[in-house]
Amino acid sequence: MANWGMVIDLDKCVGCQACSLACKAENNVPHGSPHEQKRHHDIYWHKVIAATEGEYPSVNTQIIPMPCMHCDHPPCVNVCPSKATYKRSDGIVMQNFRRCIGCRYCIVACPYGARNFNFKDQVDEEYQRPDLPEDLGLSNEGHIGPWPYPHRTRGVVEKCTYCFHRVDQALENGEEVGSKLDGHHGVLPACVEACPTEARYFGDLDEPESAVSKLLASRTYIKLREEMATSPKTTYLPR
Amino acid sequence: MQLSFAPVEGNSKNYKILVAVLAALVIAGVTAYMIAYLYGFRLWGVNNSVTWGQLITVDFFFIGLSAGSLVVSSLVYVLGQERYKPIGRVAVFMGLLLMFGAMLTVLTDLGRVEKCWRLFMYFYLSNMKSMFGINGIFYAGYLLLLGTYLVAALSGSKLTKYIAPVAVLWAMLVHMGTGAIVGFIETRHVMYSPLKPIEFISAAFASGLALVMLLSWLTLKFSKRPLDKEMFVSLGKMLAVLIIVLMVLVAVDKLTHFYPPKREAVMFLIAGPWAWIFWLQVALGYFIPLGILFNPWLRKKVGWVIAACAICVVGIFFERAAIIFPGLSQPLEYYPGEIAGIWGARGGFLIMPAETLQTLGIVAVLGLLFVLGLKFLDLLPAPSEGEHAEGAPAEPAAPAPEGGQT
Amino acid sequence: MSQAATDKPGSPEPKRSNGFRISRRAFLGVSGAAAAVVLAVVLALKRPKLAEPVETQTDSVVAKQDLIPTSCLNCPTRCAILVRKVETTAGKTKVVKISGNSASTYSEGKCCSRSHVGLQVLYNPDRFPHPLVRKAGTEKGRAVDYDNDFEEEDWGGALDRIAERLTSPDKLLILQGLNTTSNEDLIRRFALAYGTQNLFDEEGLETAADRKGKMLADGRSDSGYEMVSEDGTSTKYILAFSSGIVESERPLARNLRLWGKLRRELPNKTKVVSFDPRYSVTASRADEWLPINPGSEGALAMAIAHVILSEGLHDADFTNDHTEGFNGYSTLARTQRFSPESVSEISGVPADTIRRVAREFAQSKPAVAWSGEAATSWPYGTLASHAIYCLNALVGSIDVPGGIVYQQQPPYAAMPTEGLAITDTGITFREMADLLREGAIDTAIGFNSNLIMSVPESKEDGKWDKVLKNLFYVHIGPARSEMAAYADIILPACTYLEDWGYESAIPGSGYAEARIKQPVIEPRDGSRPTARILFDLATRTPLSAPLSPIESNSEAFAEDFAKYRTAPLMGWDDFKDSGVWKGSSYSYRNFAFGTDSGKFEFHSDHLERLLNVGLPGEGTDYPLKLAIYRPVLEIRSGSQNFPWAQEMYLVMHGRGWRNLVEINRETAHEHGIGEGDELVIESTYGEIEGEARVLEGMRPGVVTIATGQGHFASGRFADGMGMNPNDVIGTEYDEESGQPSFFATRVSIRKA
Ligand SMILES: Nc1nc2c(c(=O)[nH]1)N[C@H]1C(S)=C(S)[C@@H](COP(=O)(O)OP(=O)(O)OC[C@H]3O[C@@H](n4cnc5c(=O)[nH]c(N)nc54)[C@H](O)[C@@H]3O)O[C@H]1N2
Ligand SMILES: Nc1nc2c(c(=O)[nH]1)N[C@H]1C(S)=C(S)[C@@H](COP(=O)(O)OP(=O)(O)OC[C@H]3O[C@@H](n4cnc5c(=O)[nH]c(N)nc54)[C@H](O)[C@@H]3O)O[C@H]1N2
Ligand code: SF4
Ligand code: SF4
Ligand code: SF4
Ligand code: SF4
Ligand code: SF4
Ligand SMILES: [Mo]
Repeated sequence: MANWGMVIDLDKCVGCQACSLACKAENNVPHGSPHEQKRHHDIYWHKVIAATEGEYPSVNTQIIPMPCMHCDHPPCVNVCPSKATYKRSDGIVMQNFRRCIGCRYCIVACPYGARNFNFKDQVDEEYQRPDLPEDLGLSNEGHIGPWPYPHRTRGVVEKCTYCFHRVDQALENGEEVGSKLDGHHGVLPACVEACPTEARYFGDLDEPESAVSKLLASRTYIKLREEMATSPKTTYLPR
Repeated sequence: MQLSFAPVEGNSKNYKILVAVLAALVIAGVTAYMIAYLYGFRLWGVNNSVTWGQLITVDFFFIGLSAGSLVVSSLVYVLGQERYKPIGRVAVFMGLLLMFGAMLTVLTDLGRVEKCWRLFMYFYLSNMKSMFGINGIFYAGYLLLLGTYLVAALSGSKLTKYIAPVAVLWAMLVHMGTGAIVGFIETRHVMYSPLKPIEFISAAFASGLALVMLLSWLTLKFSKRPLDKEMFVSLGKMLAVLIIVLMVLVAVDKLTHFYPPKREAVMFLIAGPWAWIFWLQVALGYFIPLGILFNPWLRKKVGWVIAACAICVVGIFFERAAIIFPGLSQPLEYYPGEIAGIWGARGGFLIMPAETLQTLGIVAVLGLLFVLGLKFLDLLPAPSEGEHAEGAPAEPAAPAPEGGQT
Repeated sequence: MSQAATDKPGSPEPKRSNGFRISRRAFLGVSGAAAAVVLAVVLALKRPKLAEPVETQTDSVVAKQDLIPTSCLNCPTRCAILVRKVETTAGKTKVVKISGNSASTYSEGKCCSRSHVGLQVLYNPDRFPHPLVRKAGTEKGRAVDYDNDFEEEDWGGALDRIAERLTSPDKLLILQGLNTTSNEDLIRRFALAYGTQNLFDEEGLETAADRKGKMLADGRSDSGYEMVSEDGTSTKYILAFSSGIVESERPLARNLRLWGKLRRELPNKTKVVSFDPRYSVTASRADEWLPINPGSEGALAMAIAHVILSEGLHDADFTNDHTEGFNGYSTLARTQRFSPESVSEISGVPADTIRRVAREFAQSKPAVAWSGEAATSWPYGTLASHAIYCLNALVGSIDVPGGIVYQQQPPYAAMPTEGLAITDTGITFREMADLLREGAIDTAIGFNSNLIMSVPESKEDGKWDKVLKNLFYVHIGPARSEMAAYADIILPACTYLEDWGYESAIPGSGYAEARIKQPVIEPRDGSRPTARILFDLATRTPLSAPLSPIESNSEAFAEDFAKYRTAPLMGWDDFKDSGVWKGSSYSYRNFAFGTDSGKFEFHSDHLERLLNVGLPGEGTDYPLKLAIYRPVLEIRSGSQNFPWAQEMYLVMHGRGWRNLVEINRETAHEHGIGEGDELVIESTYGEIEGEARVLEGMRPGVVTIATGQGHFASGRFADGMGMNPNDVIGTEYDEESGQPSFFATRVSIRKA
């Protein structure tokens, strides 16, 4: 069983946010509004933050793209009373919309602000994503909803899935998954595929020959908020 | 001492007005909830940063009061302190009511309330690593126990003797468990503390006692029932001790987190944008009540003692708010430096009508049940000879739900 | 001991106990029953299957999916993209995703963040559903009310009305924003055949000076920065003069991809130095940020030349063999006034730093000096551009791998020139402004133009507002935009995702690349390709020569034209399948300069004017300099009515749906301004209001504002968000190119 992880090279990253946008498109994450942004009501599975230190003229801003860290010891899974968020055997921390009772305890517990609550039905007149038809004739059975139209309702929490649908489909079809250092990548999560600088790598952390393992072996790396002992599987190569 | 219990008459105009007002508030609350349920919690002040709001604050508050009330009742039923008997039944009743109220708040706070049964139904099948999952069991058991306890107390059954200690211990569990819900969350530095469960219990004792004193005094006074001044004065002494214990716990907790160089959380709490909540907690919860209760003069005056109780209850409400709001709005330190980007900014909280009305509605539900209980259950000592029980008990002093906009 | 609430004999009337009397047995019975019921319910409900493998439920409703190759037009880079269209089992068709096309080596199959926003360009809820004609007596401009000011008209009727206005070529002005290459070719062709000189390409708003300065040197207008050559030679040193290499600078997607290479994939990490008053994303990603006084870039370039020449670090082989005017230039550059010491006073960059950077630059080969538009949008912009460009020649980076290369063009089928009314067309910004001021123009047609947002002095009742209100204006574009608010007739052109055409790679790679444009879905709401609109207009207007040499009809023309033009490249079906045609590898060191001398010409006339930059006028009424920039999510060919782009607009500030008045902490303090304050920014030309962002990463004395916001007629997601800095920017011209200098305006700020 693979142990999926992501490596992001902060030296290559230019904060273009193609990752955030590709994620929105791939996973049909609804957009917000000025009002919702002000109130922290909008939903992002992926975000790019800028952390600034120093004084003029020696300022230093680190731009950090943040999907879910898919922690090996995920606090969100620990605190979820209803087991709605859980860790798959391949390490992907998943969210089951049908089980979620909407208590938001996981949001309180996640050290990375990776989780978002649906404060409204996302089929909402004005801010509805206009490129989706209202009625696709889909059933509401699946917990994520049939790809590529993840089904969500108000009142549940959601977050990045490491594009598990891509991974699962690829494995089912016998395709290769993960980045390659030579550029001939296998199937990748949408954000990794979209990154124009190729700052992002995805692959099996347990496989020593994978690009992610090799990168981690060849360069120093950091994990965010290591003091939380969450052992994130999203890792960063500093500048 | 022979003591008999009797309901209030409940026919006066005032009583009816009170019931009507409370009922109206309840209806408003239910309506507000229905609207929020249909339109989503965007109608509330909660958001992805401060993801718990008024309801969870009130929930913690109620759970504390409930546990505290129970402990007061245990004075009568476990320790056999006869002199506190007049308020014994009210205390049990309050314990049940408040817990019921607490459950109303947590459950309606769920995004998918229709799935709440998962929490209670699955018992150990829920996630037993989740303090919330464990508390699901505590809460369910507690409600059952309390119901039994009240029925037993009302029917004068001998069983109270056996149920009471279990209920009290269970109440402590419930409350410590609730403390653990926040105390075990390392991510949120303001909340994270091994002392939280103990602090919660301690706060529960203090606030529970204060509330029971306050309410029984009000009820006795307005229904013109016999009022045992001595009892209130001696309870006042007990309250003082409980407040001191609580204060010491809080001080130790904050000092522990202040001592190391990484003291941002404490600074955020005591000097950040929500500092006013914390200082209200300290002033109203501790200093002012203690000032009254240690004043050799005032502590003997029932009126002042009761005022101290009221202030303390309000103060403890701020203690709850000081966990939720600063705790959740402190930005997460994803990386050293000033963070710009999704919720690197401090979370704010708006007082929104739907959430506020709902909170008031739930308080009103409790008020309503309380006054109805006074009428239909034998909770209060029978009125003194020759006096007609009249007038209405005051609505439980519900502190205004708090929050702030930042 | 516990006392039952018994009726107490003797206590009088008042209500007593409710008679709550339960025997212990009954009590036990009741509780037992209750417990049993609960248990039964628990058992009755299915025991939860918590181990249920939920991930198996990712069934797909995709009945059919297509990946359609076409090209992006959210900026002038025109990248090749693949558009995923799905048909669901329920029979609906939807375009769901845009990604890069790996057949394009130009940017190695990558595209930038804005490409994804294409979905929202296509499904913009504020697109025009019909041709619209203004009702008489309605007011143009900010007061526009699209729902009531216009009447629907059918295509034929609308086109007839336009044709009626085309009576005199001299009185027509054609405005051209960012358009597909094939459409630009047709627009130009239309102007030539109709006989109007008055074609204003909005690129002339800012690249004119830059291009002119480079033209002076090498006589070409197709030079680009290669960064990494096909064989993997990379630029070793980049001096970025106000160039947003990873935010805006064209070709952005290519820059981004190659940036990744330069930073980590190639052996020697490239050093990047950014001269920018603002700590931009590029500056923060670069190795060094050197905050510079706005407008002093040309002087700084001369100081760098001073060091290189004084120390003899220049590439003498190149300057001897391939250049002209070197001696004069060298003498001028080495004068005292261009010494690092004196330029450091103007530019604010310490003399030592100038020396060090100059040496590093000259000694790391290949090295390039890259000028962005901000360095050249000044009254002496052409000179500044020339001065910066000459640095490349000094270190021999011209026409070498990893240096400056000249873009080759795909060999499209020729357009016969017989019978054209005129042989050349195109006017500068200044010429256009003069024509309009003189009232020489009575009708204007804008193709994908948003002129009123893009010109200086754009404010209400400003000079442009007045001019546009008096024109008969035809707006051709897919969706609401500010220019449409001034229109008398609006023709809904389709978006680039519904269009036919071809795109040529812009300077950067050297080798030529062509990309197809083909509709991923039928034009929505009956909108029409620009080519078709031109075809229909051509049939109604007396032209001296046909619009195109091919036989076609209105409906098929757009495709036919693209097919005809690209025929020499490859088969049409193959082109439609792969989406990309690539030319042969670039051959270096041709030194084919277009100058009179045939050499690279150093001009030294007037370069000393570069020293006349006004420094922030302390003590004047307008003590600060306003600089503007393009954040990466500013969509060039559009209106910003795109929520995805809006919500993460300013990555450095973590804010969306607005722009901010960015100001240095110290400067803010001097003005008593704090983070988040509402400010008024005032210049002699007007006032705007915006929110203060106080930060360390900004040169004191400068305020910057991102462009792309401040829309008032572009739709629900754009209107009323932020401000348009053009409202306070004044018009001064660069003498040589007639380009307005966007970057020269002084402002004052105060709390609102
Ligand atoms: N994201 C995005 N990219 C685009 C476009 C877009 O709209 N959005 N448009 C495209 C077009 S049409 C063009 S012409 C190009 C232009 O692309 P660029 O030439 O890169 O122009 P800008 O991004 O406006 O400015 C670049 C930098 O100059 C800095 N600057 C501002 N004033 C001064 C100054 O006085 N001196 C110095 N040294 N620096 C200064 C700004 O802070 C900014 O960081 O971008 C293209 N790419
Ligand atoms: N202050 C200041 N002003 C500047 C600049 C600056 O740096 N500072 N930069 C200048 C520069 S570099 C430039 S290039 C100009 C840009 O100025 P403009 O060329 O005016 O460009 P946009 O504002 O992008 O306007 C594009 C228009 O095309 C429409 N449109 C969008 N997509 C399509 C499509 O697919 N088909 C068709 N037919 N129409 C479409 C949109 O609705 C919009 O009205 O601005 C200039 N103005
Ligand atoms: S797409 Fe790549 S370069 Fe752009 S912000 Fe994301 S990680 Fe960074
Ligand atoms: S980052 Fe947050 S949501 Fe993701 S696994 Fe870790 S704790 Fe859970
Ligand atoms: S909100 Fe949902 S996922 Fe999060 S802890 Fe509660 S039940 Fe679990
Ligand atoms: S892995 Fe997939 S879900 Fe996660 S951030 Fe990337 S695109 Fe989004
Ligand atoms: S660089 Fe320009 S053309 Fe290329 S993908 Fe980005 S916006 Fe589109
Ligand atoms: Mo431009």
